[in-house]
Amino acid sequence: MSEIKLTESAPTEDNGEEKDWAAAKAHFDNLKTKIPRPPKPRYAVTIAVSSRTLFNMVKERKVYEDEGLEKYVAYQMEHESEPLMPGVAFPFVQALMNVNSRLRQLYPDSEELFDIVLMTNNHAQVGVRLINSINHYDLTIERFCMTGGESPIGYLKAYMTNLYLSKNSDKVMEAIEEGIAAATMFAVDTDNELSKTQLRVAFDGDAVLFSDESEIIVKQHGLDTFFDHEKEFVNKPLAQGPLKCFLEALGKLQRKFIAKNERLNCPIRTFLVTARSAASCGARVLKTLRSWGLEIDEALFLAGAPKGPLLEKIKPHIFFDDQMFHIEGAQQMGTISAHVPYGIGQKYHKGKLIEQPPKKE
Amino acid sequence: MVSTIQNTDVKQKEADRAVVVAVTSRAVFDCGADDGDEVCEVGVAFPLLQALQRVNERLLEENPSESLLFDVVLITSDSQQQQQSSRIISNTRHHGLEISRFCFSSEEDFTESLLKNNVHLFLTTDRDEAAQASQKGVFSALLNGKVASSEQLRVVFCGDAVIRTDTEPPSASQDAAQSFWAQLGEMRRRFGMLDSPLSLVLLTSRGGRESCGTALQTLRSRGVNMDEAYSLAGAPQSPILSLLRPHFLLINHLQD
Repeated sequence: MSEIKLTESAPTEDNGEEKDWAAAKAHFDNLKTKIPRPPKPRYAVTIAVSSRTLFNMVKERKVYEDEGLEKYVAYQMEHESEPLMPGVAFPFVQALMNVNSRLRQLYPDSEELFDIVLMTNNHAQVGVRLINSINHYDLTIERFCMTGGESPIGYLKAYMTNLYLSKNSDKVMEAIEEGIAAATMFAVDTDNELSKTQLRVAFDGDAVLFSDESEIIVKQHGLDTFFDHEKEFVNKPLAQGPLKCFLEALGKLQRKFIAKNERLNCPIRTFLVTARSAASCGARVLKTLRSWGLEIDEALFLAGAPKGPLLEKIKPHIFFDDQMFHIEGAQQMGTISAHVPYGIGQKYHKGKLIEQPPKKE
Repeated sequence: MVSTIQNTDVKQKEADRAVVVAVTSRAVFDCGADDGDEVCEVGVAFPLLQALQRVNERLLEENPSESLLFDVVLITSDSQQQQQSSRIISNTRHHGLEISRFCFSSEEDFTESLLKNNVHLFLTTDRDEAAQASQKGVFSALLNGKVASSEQLRVVFCGDAVIRTDTEPPSASQDAAQSFWAQLGEMRRRFGMLDSPLSLVLLTSRGGRESCGTALQTLRSRGVNMDEAYSLAGAPQSPILSLLRPHFLLINHLQD
């Protein structure tokens, strides 16, 4: 029985990692109630969610804003045994869990699964209520960081995060600047019946999957120049945008179902919902995806029509767009939307240049 | 042979209330050549001592008659350093370190000086020394050489075995560990949530949320309220540890 142990600085990174992993595996394998063991981070598709996206903490947030940190923590501790209500990312998380069950059935020994991590700068004492709530809904969330106030950005990298969802746009911007796919989620009042058997993810094209290079042309030179430009460069792939790698990760998991002849029954479906029109500028987008070796299940070209009604039909668990105008339109019709604060779209609202406030230090 | 010299520059702490932390002088000063009055380089424990000092300053700000303070004792046990006792003392003065006592002993007797000084936590860079002290019932930990210094004292507790402690009768060392934690918990309660000079961090590396959640509540019931909590469930520890920047890491493993 040893009381002290040297922190593993001498052995190679791999050795230390393997030991940590083996110990955890042993722990989970020996548990009386068989809960699924979390996957190895380097193979998993890691989704980090904040506490306010996972759960509805509007009431609690108000206590924090009106009465300060200490009262807020005390409030949470008082209500510790009351599970929080589901938040805006909750359906998305449940859909991820469903995909995992299907993957485990087909590939019982694979580590290529979704790994859901709770990433919050809440205080650890608030964490008890968060853990109790996760227990209540039986969510498979085994990893978390409760940083007690520090920025979670470093931890996102340490957990090899593939996608970060938060209500705080500053944190989301920081994550994107660090090269991590991230989006800000908004509350939505909806009774939309979302699929319980299939994860449905919708993406905007420019400045989400692709860079904002084309959008810059539209904003600065207008649509006609944009169409001409896209025709001229139809065979030149667009540069990648912040969510491209997430689409890639989804594609990797989709192929596992296809490999087992489950294409028609695949529990992941992806959608491209773009304001581009198929005829004049759509081809470049499809060719770009092809050049990346990526597939998207449905590509919908709206030619400038509002996205709301179409999204209402698609009913995605999450919709990513870089422009608040589209986010608001989608929300109004009950779609769970996530804003990607990237690119030139941030400087415009409904086509007009916004007055930029001086950048916060 | 054990001898103790009090540092007259520093006000001695109340023996039965202070949290006595002993550090090996080798970890605090890196004295190279044997020049008489040469100023030594600072060692890996230096940022830790500064952080402990800041905690004391803040505790006294809150309550000038506070007696629950860190009491730092310097242990010198290797013969080379013994010869430089005056250098150690002068360097302490030079760097403004709040060390209350200097203990000199032979290598075989150093555990005696720990026990004589009622040490609650012994910190060293030497694994064997830590093991020896542990065997005598002194709670010991290894100093992490890679720590980036931070203003705040950051104590990381690896909580994987917190629950299992209750199934076996606790050893003397485990009792020492628990009482150290209780003292830290009490110290932490002297400050509010924001702007605290110390932060208590829980890290569980093997188990999932159940382990971490239970550890949080168990510690709370012992009066120790953690500020931060990290559940790794098998994810690699080292990237997380380098972000946590602990001054020292307290690991309680019942089995290897």
